[in-house]
Amino acid sequence: MGGKITCTLGEVKNRADFIVYWGGNPAECHPRHFSKYTLTQKGKFVPEGRKGRTMVLVDIRETPSARAADIFLQIRPGKDFEVATTLRALLKGQRVDEPSAIETGLTLEQMRDFVDRMKRARFGVIFFGMGLSMTRGKHMNSGAILTLAAELNAFTKFVCMPMRGHGNVTGADVVLRWTTGYPFGINLSRGYPRFNPGEFSTVDLLVRGDNDAALILGADPGATMPQPGIDHLARIPTIVLDPKVTHTSRLARVHITTAVTGISAPGTAYRMDEVPLPLRPALTSPYPTDEEVIRRIRLAVSRKPAWIPTPIETMTSA
Amino acid sequence: MLRITGGKVYDPANGIDGVIKDICIAGGRIVDTVEGGRTIDAHGTIVFPGGVDVHTHVAGGALNFARGLVPENQRVARKFLHTPKYRAGLGGATPTTFATGYLYAGMGWTTVNEAAVPILTAKHTHEELHDTPIVDKSCLLLMANNEIVLDLLEAGEQERARHVVAWLIWAAKVYGVKAVNPGGVAAWKWGKNASTLHDPIEGYRQTTPAKIIAGLAQIIDDIGLPHPLHLHCNNLGNPGNVATTIETMKVLEGRRAHLAHLQFHAYGGDDWASMRSGAAEVAEAFDAHTNLTADAGAILFGDAVTITADGPWQHMLHQLTGRKWGNLDVENETGCGIVPYVYRDRHLVNAIQWAVGLELLLLIKDPWRIFLTTDHPNGGCFWRYPEIIRLLMDVEFRKEQVKRLPEAAKSRIVLADLDREYTLSEIAIVTSAGPARALGLSAKGHLGVGADADVTVYPEKPDDGTLFSYPRYVLKGGEIMVEEGELRGLSEGREFIVHPAYDAGIEEYIRPLFQKVYTISFENYPVEMERLRHVELVGTDR
Repeated sequence: MGGKITCTLGEVKNRADFIVYWGGNPAECHPRHFSKYTLTQKGKFVPEGRKGRTMVLVDIRETPSARAADIFLQIRPGKDFEVATTLRALLKGQRVDEPSAIETGLTLEQMRDFVDRMKRARFGVIFFGMGLSMTRGKHMNSGAILTLAAELNAFTKFVCMPMRGHGNVTGADVVLRWTTGYPFGINLSRGYPRFNPGEFSTVDLLVRGDNDAALILGADPGATMPQPGIDHLARIPTIVLDPKVTHTSRLARVHITTAVTGISAPGTAYRMDEVPLPLRPALTSPYPTDEEVIRRIRLAVSRKPAWIPTPIETMTSA
Repeated sequence: MLRITGGKVYDPANGIDGVIKDICIAGGRIVDTVEGGRTIDAHGTIVFPGGVDVHTHVAGGALNFARGLVPENQRVARKFLHTPKYRAGLGGATPTTFATGYLYAGMGWTTVNEAAVPILTAKHTHEELHDTPIVDKSCLLLMANNEIVLDLLEAGEQERARHVVAWLIWAAKVYGVKAVNPGGVAAWKWGKNASTLHDPIEGYRQTTPAKIIAGLAQIIDDIGLPHPLHLHCNNLGNPGNVATTIETMKVLEGRRAHLAHLQFHAYGGDDWASMRSGAAEVAEAFDAHTNLTADAGAILFGDAVTITADGPWQHMLHQLTGRKWGNLDVENETGCGIVPYVYRDRHLVNAIQWAVGLELLLLIKDPWRIFLTTDHPNGGCFWRYPEIIRLLMDVEFRKEQVKRLPEAAKSRIVLADLDREYTLSEIAIVTSAGPARALGLSAKGHLGVGADADVTVYPEKPDDGTLFSYPRYVLKGGEIMVEEGELRGLSEGREFIVHPAYDAGIEEYIRPLFQKVYTISFENYPVEMERLRHVELVGTDR
């Protein structure tokens, strides 16, 4: 079990005839997703465009995205894992009881139909949002969906992709992997990278009050973190780099105004499918770029003596 | 200025075989003689040109996907501590970029060739290569499943295809072209594969894997790239694929090519139950085809992560092993699959694979055409090369290892009957001089005047008995990186790229095709020159 079967968005545009959005509301959160990549584009092997594609929305309430869907499956809150697991069981031809199925908010008939349609697809894709990955069950839900997509490949071509957003979060994930080996939730306090989501992730550190300073870049945790985490950010020296005033910058000790990346600062952003895109600024800014500020902080820090003996110093003094 | 004195020099490209002579260095290159400067006393050592890895996977989207997929491997990997000079990182099967540079240099390898780059994410690959210190780098573009190129081959427009390929090479700022499972990855976009060479591939009427192979090899020769078509043959990993491999050699007649990780393409038998080594047949056919070079892609027992653009094979491996599976199809160009894997010496198939890698290295007669690789991290990690060198040089040790294999494996391999032992000079050929020549890097792989001063000095009688594990000195571009067995230097390393000629109008031919099937703007497709640092352009006149 486990893994990730995915593709770049152009594969969806050119080939997908069956598109599932699960626990997300792209009509409002990723407004260009339908028109640029998934639904309305004419693809190389889907020349009819929208008419050649079927879209299913799985969610706990009828969001504006439901209007774009051919089939809307409304499930009960917190039942994503049960639905995904039932679908996997049906896919494998295992027996499923009607009473346990009905608890998910869907009938067994609806789920059977869903499985049949997925198997009949020529090229299927599941996009899942934070309604799945950040609710009860969290990574277990993501794991169940990713496994469902992997197992569908025994019948037809099927891929799966998280609907990532919030600035360049994918880029941070990509760079951290090549520099530390891990995507997030990394602790470097021993001098080498360690990874443990739930222990070293930002939210956990803040809520436990483990860290005694914070440098916030390209994020606004003051708007999204649980209250104990926000209280901790206000308690410790917090430095924010942001072009504008945010919830976090209001509670920070230091707010350094920076140029807006992509508008007045160059750089590279990674799309949700990890395709790198160069950003070319259209304007100039009186403010320094994030990179410039971090570089200068790093230079200043490197002039200070190391706070722990390094292996090389230990060796030469021995 | 620097002089290495008293060591036994092995420089096969210049016909020097264990002669005690001084190596003089000035301005980052080997020179005739120097006055003054530091002298390194190399008595009791052997002096080699720095190692050259002709086929490895150390950077880019696929490897980075793998890093994220195996945190449980990363956790037990070797740790690299942050110091004022060196970056933190992890070793293991999929090392972080900085650790990759330290590990290669620490082993005495100074040039690496990253073998699989999609154009769409080439920017990412170059960023990672820049973050891979010390070693010089080159990389190869994935081309055999690029639908714009395949459509041209289908239409019989070989000439236009040549200009498109040349334009794409320059757009991605790479050094050469790789073909992975020609046609098979394109078919995989529909969940299919291409395992026979002469049948049309999924979605095409005329185009067969054989036509793609011949067409691309011809294009590469016509463009005059320093490195020939770098080919991952069809039918990788399947019992009985010997026939496909030998047929591929016939298709390539009259053109240059490099066959990657030959071990994975040299299996006899009809299925997993009857699988046997096909190394003897492959070696015999390969010996007769002097237009070809190859690398071993040997496997070593232990942890590995299989990463390849061969998507259908990875789905198959996932179904065989039940291990987790990663897959990433790249629009209109290629794909990649990832499955973590453990090679076990008690496992019949793995035992045969282990033997086949060594058999190929021992059976192929001309060491200038077969090179040492593990297809890192597919067959084993690059930092385990010294283990293979020991197996090649020590027949008694090798035969001891064969005894550990399952009884059923012993009748299906020929390794126990091979008495050949590699000489030090032959090791220098398969690890450095040969791959440098195949890559067309004239300043690499030798210690003649004018060569890059990439020099590795190994103790002649190492304390632990394992030659090549811990070099005493490693020089890169004349600078000392490893001294007294310890990493002390640091440099950034260069990137080799080519700029082949193409018809200036070809861009306007590609633009509308691109805009129809891709999801980024055409202007964002090519890698900007500013993104690369320390670039060296290599000529395309061969």
